[in-house]
Amino acid sequence: MSESTTPILSVRGVRRSFQAGERKLEVLHGVNLDLAAHGRLCLMGSSGAGKTTLLNIIGLLDRPDEGEVMLQGQDAWSLPNSSRAGLRNRILGFVFQFYHLLPELDALENTTLPARLAGARGTRLREYRSKAKSSLEAFGLGQRLHHRPGKLSGGEQQRVAIARALLMEPQLLIADEPTGNLDRATGDRVLDLLFEEQQRRGFALLLVTHDQRLAKRCERIVHMEDGQIQADSTTPIPH
Amino acid sequence: MYQTFLSFRYLRARPISWIGVAGIFVAVSALILILSIMSGFLAETRNHLRGSLSDLLIQPHLDRVLMHEGQSVLPKRDSAGILEAVLEDPLVAGASAHYTWYGMLAAAGRERMLSDVNHGDLALVKLVGIDASEEYSVSNLEEDLKRVSLISDERVADPSDPFGPIPGYEPDGRPLDPILVGEQLARFWGLRRGRTLELVTAVLDPKTGNAQEAVSRSFVVAGTFRSKNNDFDMSTLYLPRSVMAEWFGAGREFTDVAVKLKDYKGTKAAAQASLAVRLHELGYLHDPEVTGGMEIRPWEDFQRSMLAAIENEKGLLGIMLSLVLLVAAFSVFAILSMLVQEKRRDIGILCALGASQWGVMGTFLMIGLWEALLGTLLGLGAGIWATLNINAIEQALSNTFGFQIFNREAYAFDHIPTVIEGGGIAAIVLGAFTASLLAAALPAWRAARLNPVEGLRHE
Ligand SMILES: Nc1ncnc2c1ncn2[C@@H]1O[C@H](COP(=O)(O)OP(=O)(O)OP(=O)(O)O)[C@@H](O)[C@H]1O
Ligand SMILES: [Mg+2]
Repeated sequence: MSESTTPILSVRGVRRSFQAGERKLEVLHGVNLDLAAHGRLCLMGSSGAGKTTLLNIIGLLDRPDEGEVMLQGQDAWSLPNSSRAGLRNRILGFVFQFYHLLPELDALENTTLPARLAGARGTRLREYRSKAKSSLEAFGLGQRLHHRPGKLSGGEQQRVAIARALLMEPQLLIADEPTGNLDRATGDRVLDLLFEEQQRRGFALLLVTHDQRLAKRCERIVHMEDGQIQADSTTPIPH
Repeated sequence: MYQTFLSFRYLRARPISWIGVAGIFVAVSALILILSIMSGFLAETRNHLRGSLSDLLIQPHLDRVLMHEGQSVLPKRDSAGILEAVLEDPLVAGASAHYTWYGMLAAAGRERMLSDVNHGDLALVKLVGIDASEEYSVSNLEEDLKRVSLISDERVADPSDPFGPIPGYEPDGRPLDPILVGEQLARFWGLRRGRTLELVTAVLDPKTGNAQEAVSRSFVVAGTFRSKNNDFDMSTLYLPRSVMAEWFGAGREFTDVAVKLKDYKGTKAAAQASLAVRLHELGYLHDPEVTGGMEIRPWEDFQRSMLAAIENEKGLLGIMLSLVLLVAAFSVFAILSMLVQEKRRDIGILCALGASQWGVMGTFLMIGLWEALLGTLLGLGAGIWATLNINAIEQALSNTFGFQIFNREAYAFDHIPTVIEGGGIAAIVLGAFTASLLAAALPAWRAARLNPVEGLRHE
């Protein structure tokens, strides 16, 4: 876990602006950011600083006006669309503030969805299903496998979302305020789970939060203000 | 494929999607039913229009000189020779020589005719001289003679010999020649079997073509016939060809030959062509290159405008009904557009989890595909079922609502005629299917173009 290994993620000079009526609103002005494999980075900043915008660009969902996003050493935004879809499926994992499960699918189907999107069928799909099932069971959702999201609490939904994000063994997990919609106790349990999984599986974690307590559990805290990285502090992880 | 999986889930979760299926279903089944009924009416009406017309009619220009064996001569005029030549053709099933002429029918004596032209008992009629057994081989005359009469039974005594002895007819002197009268004409004129009628006509000079003089002659009614064509029954009289030839003479034994083919639809043109060539070689017809084969014509030529009108109606109705299809396709479009709008968040999620744009498009297109498939198949089944059972359905509806939906008097049929037309039905099914798929393609394409970030922004 040394810092000298090639970073899993390397953001170089990313700019992004939006057209707001007549005016052009520049949200990101040349962001640079590195994240080592297995690293845990916490991105903080006031509302409107551009954190979600940056995450969408890193997550290959929104194209930057300028700059590069290197994933595993390759410039992801220069790849064709279909390759980027493949990277989102295999290298990246997403956890959102609003869980974002498909309401028509039950917990197990939601968790297995990335495997289906990867084209898994037959035995391979069954393998993924049993994998999804055991991780849902490990997350305390053994009794909830066939419940639709509407029948689950926020904490339960977020745990399903984490199981889903981890199904394809991603290298980088992107979590945008994963506890933003949960009460403190539930949020803590969800985070414990997330961090435990990171310890066990060793993916890199890029976390956005407003919560100072949470930030303290990250080895690196990056502050963002007005579309730029302000401060980057590395602290030992307290356990 | 996840597209299949997801499309099923969306269909299951959104009962409103079934409206699209229902729209296609109704459009397809209605189109099939209406096409089948229209085709049935067309076929039935063709039968009516056809009446006793045979497949082909050979009408030589008997007074125009032709080249035969290097000499300019008039066409040959013997019936035996032309019949033999026609029957030799392997495509021909039967042939009957006619001696056709026109005349006026006067039932109640000539004085009345003169005194009151407008209200006199006078009708222009077509006189067809036939040989009964020949005619039976080319037309429905035998059936028409046997068909149940609408007036008190005036059928011929012996259909196998319609010009034979007439029961109850006891002539004073020399017996009159027998004549067969169309049922409508007989009803209108009160012509009973054994009654006499008088025909007035003119004989032409065979050389100059000028009318020589008016002649009249009395006949005895041997019986009536009832074809399915009222106009035909109102204007046609059959009498022995020998009588006609002797009466009008002019050195010819026939004026036209009716031909029945073994396979009319398949060999109509071929038979027309081969007969034209053969009969020209033998000196009966003119060079088909010169006449354009107009001496031999299929029966439709004689009812062309009526047939074209019905065909045209069918086409117009098809166009109007295609609007139903348009509505169905639009409902697919509208419902799928709604679904795409509603599922913007799902689309964002699918993108984040690794779906490509094509994958997203495929998912929504698949929903349209299932709707199209289900709608057209159900519509196909229901349309054919309704076509096959239309008379029972009509009866049930009539009983329920207490009035006759299909007015049997207004049409000349005692049932609703239908014809299952494979080609037309295939066109409807394929058309509905592609129209629905195209209607689904637009919202599906829009789904693929949606910005995933937009969909993910809010809860
Ligand atoms: N599609 C867009 N069109 C116009 N403006 C946008 C768009 N997306 C984001 N913005 C603007 O960019 C700025 C940064 O937004 P962003 O969502 O990245 O902030 P954030 O740091 O995630 O804030 P929060 O902590 O509240 O989530 C905001 O001012 C926002 O209004
Ligand atoms: Mg945000």
